[in-house]
Amino acid sequence: MKPYRNFFLITMIFLLALTSCTSTTPEQSTQEPEEVINLLVWDQFYRPEESAVIDQLNLEFEEDHPGVKIQREVKILDDLKLTVKLALAESDGPDVAQVNQGRSDMGAMVEADLLLPLNDYLAKYNWADVFSTSVASRNSFTPDGKTFGQGNLYGVSPTAEVVGVFYNKGIFKDNDWSVPTTFEDFEQLLADIKAADITPIAFGSLDGWNAIHEYSAIQHLLVSLDYINNLTYGVNNASFDTPENRDAAQILSDWAQAGYFTQGYPGIGYDDSNNNFKAGEGALTITGSWFAPELMTGTDQEFGFFLLPGFSGQPTLAIGGVGIPYSIRKTTQHPDMATEYLNWMISPRAAELWAQAGMLPAMSLPEGSTVDTNNLFGETLFAWEAVNKNNAVGHYIDWATPTFYDTLVAELQKLLGGISTPANFTAAVEADYARFLQEQGQ
Amino acid sequence: MKSQTKRRPGESRWTGFFYLVPAFLIYLLFTLIPIADTVRSSFYDWGALGKSNTWVGLGNYANLLKDSVFLNAFSNNLVFIIFYSIIPILLGLFLSSLLGRYPLPGFTFFRTVLFLPQVISMVVVGVIWRWMFHPTTGPVNLFLGIIGLEHLQQAWLGSFQWALSAVGSVGSWVQYGFCMVLFLAGMQRIPEEYYEASSLDGANELQQFFYITFPGLKSEIGVALITTIIAALRVFDLVYATTRGGPGESTMVTGFLIYRTAILNNNIGYGAAMATVLTIVILSLSLLIRKLMTDHTNEAV
Repeated sequence: MKPYRNFFLITMIFLLALTSCTSTTPEQSTQEPEEVINLLVWDQFYRPEESAVIDQLNLEFEEDHPGVKIQREVKILDDLKLTVKLALAESDGPDVAQVNQGRSDMGAMVEADLLLPLNDYLAKYNWADVFSTSVASRNSFTPDGKTFGQGNLYGVSPTAEVVGVFYNKGIFKDNDWSVPTTFEDFEQLLADIKAADITPIAFGSLDGWNAIHEYSAIQHLLVSLDYINNLTYGVNNASFDTPENRDAAQILSDWAQAGYFTQGYPGIGYDDSNNNFKAGEGALTITGSWFAPELMTGTDQEFGFFLLPGFSGQPTLAIGGVGIPYSIRKTTQHPDMATEYLNWMISPRAAELWAQAGMLPAMSLPEGSTVDTNNLFGETLFAWEAVNKNNAVGHYIDWATPTFYDTLVAELQKLLGGISTPANFTAAVEADYARFLQEQGQ
Repeated sequence: MKSQTKRRPGESRWTGFFYLVPAFLIYLLFTLIPIADTVRSSFYDWGALGKSNTWVGLGNYANLLKDSVFLNAFSNNLVFIIFYSIIPILLGLFLSSLLGRYPLPGFTFFRTVLFLPQVISMVVVGVIWRWMFHPTTGPVNLFLGIIGLEHLQQAWLGSFQWALSAVGSVGSWVQYGFCMVLFLAGMQRIPEEYYEASSLDGANELQQFFYITFPGLKSEIGVALITTIIAALRVFDLVYATTRGGPGESTMVTGFLIYRTAILNNNIGYGAAMATVLTIVILSLSLLIRKLMTDHTNEAV
């Protein structure tokens, strides 16, 4: 009858539409012979220079391991952070994935039992020779996910980072300035640059997170390695409300008041500020070694790098660490091959490819490597090796609590804007930290 | 005897519902069930990735009332209502009452161009306006410099004083064209005879506006109010692309706070409570406005 015919038509169309919307997640092939292993790998090396390194390494891995196919999916970091938490809980999720360090990401996934502990493989591949315990601790959590920096190893990082000062060699030469060796000299240099009507520090705080680096770089010159470890890992009942942290906040605030930062910096984003610096505006900028590849191409300016010098007679730490690590899904069908892949990504060959791309490798370059170190990249490499050798690698303090990043950014913007004082700043940040320690049961 | 209502012979009353079933199924699966699930989550203290999951009843809601961050975010949304809703509607009313009755050359072109901001993705709008507000190279400050108002130049998006207004003004820019187009269309419905009759009776422009234009546009204003208020309360993309809630918490809005709480900080139960509160507020406001602004008169005069 007529009404029912219409009804059937519509239901048919609807069902057809449904069946055409099939899932698009890649499935492990079931038609190929048993020997072929498909490894699904997620990474966040989306920048062209970085992506080329990974593609090359994947290619060489497949040549060296016949029967293994790497299926690579690249995402930007924000995307990866969002999706990887859910994907690692799926049986067809990535076998290997880059997992952001810290409590809200890696810690949360360890707590949810999603990551494979790598301690057995540490011994098997002799990774203790590749990276120090300090480096390993950054990718370690206790199995309950509560204690950071100890327990099981859950990831290995291929790249390293150190935060320091990039400077425009041309501007320095024109004004007869030299790289300062003490913090007092550094502050004098800032005053001299300002007097010469040049922007001393290219900076923009609109994106927030790089303000943490400006502050923490100064903080690292005033505190001890034990303190920064305790603070970041949340052990030994550290406090953020200390005289050293207040002093660092005061110095940062003084710099802002003295006009050492780019004019209008509260309204300038990180990438915009970097582009200006690259184009030659500003004598210095304080950021991480990841900026080096960008400064080596596409500009007529010449740049150098030095670590923020410490106060006379005081040991110095530098913010730094290793980049986002590779981890393995706990429920993967191919744990051995996945760990083989991890080992490949931190091999000397990988170090060489990263160095050629201008990025700091976390592992040492192979003997007789032909990578050119007589350039900006070389300067960051020597800086990293120096802090590594002196056991002076600090931390990204926003790792300390899940909400530390938000709190630090908000409070730093208030401090820089002159709305908050150093004492208020440390007190407000300490409120977050103390609350976190309390929830952890300390 | 069966029902006495008039029905077309041979057609079942249920046919109408069958037509609804496919769309309703999609709506159920992708909207209603997730909403119900969110409300359910809001009654739990649900931490990272679903492992620890304890019932707290209305505990999350009680905490929300005391949470200064949430209350600040919500009050920022209320401020946004002024920028997204009040300003565009007033501007739209003013301009359409001036222009609506006299067709201008190129009218269609202007209507299209004014409506364009609605069509652009809010993320793109945010990114572009970030450049517009750049302290040294942005057109806003450059323009102020050209007309001799250098002292008004700011780091707009980084200023504790001005960031909220700056972001709000972007909202006005987006919504103004929509309101204007809506009211212009509404003005076509108002018979020209009313204006002629009223001016014969000695009414001036202002009286004509209050007694003819404004009541005649009542349902359009109602639609504009609902749409723009919902946009003001829902805002996320714009804040994400421009300031991410900064500087400090001065541009934090509920939508972004939900994202940060539930997804970045893994505090899903608390974020779900925020989302539920926001949904209830939006629903209530929409119903209230509809009730107040629906034009019940079919024929005036």
